[in-house]
Amino acid sequence: MTALAGPSKAMLTVTNLRKHYGGVRAVDGISFTAGRGRVTGLIGPNGAGKSTALGMIAGSITPTSGQVQLDGIDIAGLPSYRVARRGVGRTFQLASEFPRLTVLENMLTAVQGSRGDTLRTALLGKRYWRSAEEANIRRAAELMDRFSMTPMANELANTLSGGQRRLLEIMRALMSAPRLLLLDEPMSGVNPSLSLCIQDYLLQLKAEGLSMLMVEHEMSVVERLCDQVIVMAQGRILVDGTMAEIRSDRRVLDAYLAG
Amino acid sequence: MSTAWQFYITTVLIYLGVDVMACWGLNLQYGYTGILNFAYIVFQSAGAYTYAVLTLGPAPRASFQQYIAGANLPFPLPILAAGAVGGVLSAIIGTVGLRRLRSDYQAMVLLVISLIATVVITNATGIFNGAAGLALIPKPLQSGLNLTLIGYQWFYVAFVALCCLIIYWFVRRITQAPFGRSLRAVRDHEQAAASLGKNVTGLRMISFVTGGVIAGISGALLVGFISAWSPGSWLYQETFVYFTALIVGGVANNAGAALGALLVPVAFLEATRFLPPVGGPGFIEALQWVTVGLLTLGFLWFRPRGVLPERTRVMALPEVAAMARPDATRLPVGGPQAADPTAAPVARNPTVEDPAATSGTEPAGGRP
Repeated sequence: MTALAGPSKAMLTVTNLRKHYGGVRAVDGISFTAGRGRVTGLIGPNGAGKSTALGMIAGSITPTSGQVQLDGIDIAGLPSYRVARRGVGRTFQLASEFPRLTVLENMLTAVQGSRGDTLRTALLGKRYWRSAEEANIRRAAELMDRFSMTPMANELANTLSGGQRRLLEIMRALMSAPRLLLLDEPMSGVNPSLSLCIQDYLLQLKAEGLSMLMVEHEMSVVERLCDQVIVMAQGRILVDGTMAEIRSDRRVLDAYLAG
Repeated sequence: MSTAWQFYITTVLIYLGVDVMACWGLNLQYGYTGILNFAYIVFQSAGAYTYAVLTLGPAPRASFQQYIAGANLPFPLPILAAGAVGGVLSAIIGTVGLRRLRSDYQAMVLLVISLIATVVITNATGIFNGAAGLALIPKPLQSGLNLTLIGYQWFYVAFVALCCLIIYWFVRRITQAPFGRSLRAVRDHEQAAASLGKNVTGLRMISFVTGGVIAGISGALLVGFISAWSPGSWLYQETFVYFTALIVGGVANNAGAALGALLVPVAFLEATRFLPPVGGPGFIEALQWVTVGLLTLGFLWFRPRGVLPERTRVMALPEVAAMARPDATRLPVGGPQAADPTAAPVARNPTVEDPAATSGTEPAGGRP
């Protein structure tokens, strides 16, 4: 495993994480660290176990064994809503917008612990939660402005294009103010020019100090965004290093050819 | 207006009120949270039986009807108890049925529970008098008010209307608040909602139990009016009448649910009473069920969002220019659409004039 360089401290530490489905070892004892304020790429051929690993970190898949530490606290096996409440945002491989909610509503849903978001506080009425809601709308408006999505604010999410849905997912995840953002193939189904725009956004978020762990197939994207790249094959980690190190490693080429 | 007409109209209005209330409860579960509660009628029935036994008094030994937990509670305790029993039963069934199963399997489990409940109550005659059911159930406040028959009918119309208003206030507060938005998020994409910190099981349970309470109260009001209740009143098909009402009226729209209650269980099924007698005995009744099924299929096929579709919540945005960040990376002018040749046509940016819309008010005339 590559040690994290410089003052960067580990945001995420995965230790001996496994997921077995009967005899199938989807993830077979992987260990790695993802640095604070860095973008870590998780790549590998189809069936390598990348999305399963991401699912275990996010809490949507229960690990068979192993540890997932976020800032030193073990979150392995916690349900995904509790992982999210600890500051882990995520996007999905397939579009996961709330189709019958507007873009703005999609974003407001991501606000945690907001007034009026429990049965008791909902019954207290609009007077109780209106000011908090307006503050949340302001935050959402800022994000939409930044992502040039303001014109879509009051449109239903199911009317958006594929690329806009990707942007919405990222905006929605950011609305929850995550410490760590998990991105599952954020460029899939996105045309090249919009992909470049999304990459610019992600670079800007990185510059602002957001830690990200990204599963991605597109090597140019990985090369541009990722400080550290982890190559998985058949449920295990083959190589963990920089893109230059990955490119020169024979095992990576073999894995892709075999995969 | 003749006494007969007044009696008929008040009866229809009371049924309408009960059905509207029941539809709001189911709408909260299905329309807003996506729970396919195919056992909904069981919770209404639990409320009806609770009201019955808590007003009939202790069962005499040599009576034509036997039941458990007989008591003679004063108004309005039997109605409140009916809601509580509907809620507790929902909590018990929800704990088993909603936790680990996917929504389609949950629907199957709930349908089976509905079938089992009917069989158990029919055959265990000691609980609620079996297939014969309970009769001579006292009407609320009838002896104390000393009204004429028609006078009491109108009183009951007003009472049901008042209950409807209270339930509507309750449901509207839930559905307008951020809590209602979370329920709709769970309905639309459970996994994504969970990834945003929403306790999906908890939210579904709250919606399920709240709907159960409303169903229980509606059952109590119904049985308080008709004074009799038996397993024949709550066969599993009755749940589908309420589902059809929601699908026809419009799911996730409280006005749509009320319209559906007016159109399907009241207007549509009532209209068939006036058909000339054709076919053998029970033919018209069987035809009602066929047409309820056809209505569901027809609307799902041609107008899946119902007569009054779920409204788009348009909210006013604060002035964007004032917030613009000089360091922000921006997409090309025209938004992501400009960079995405596969994108759908640029959507209209709605102009919002209603200041109340900021808080999620549903504006009139939502987009279909």
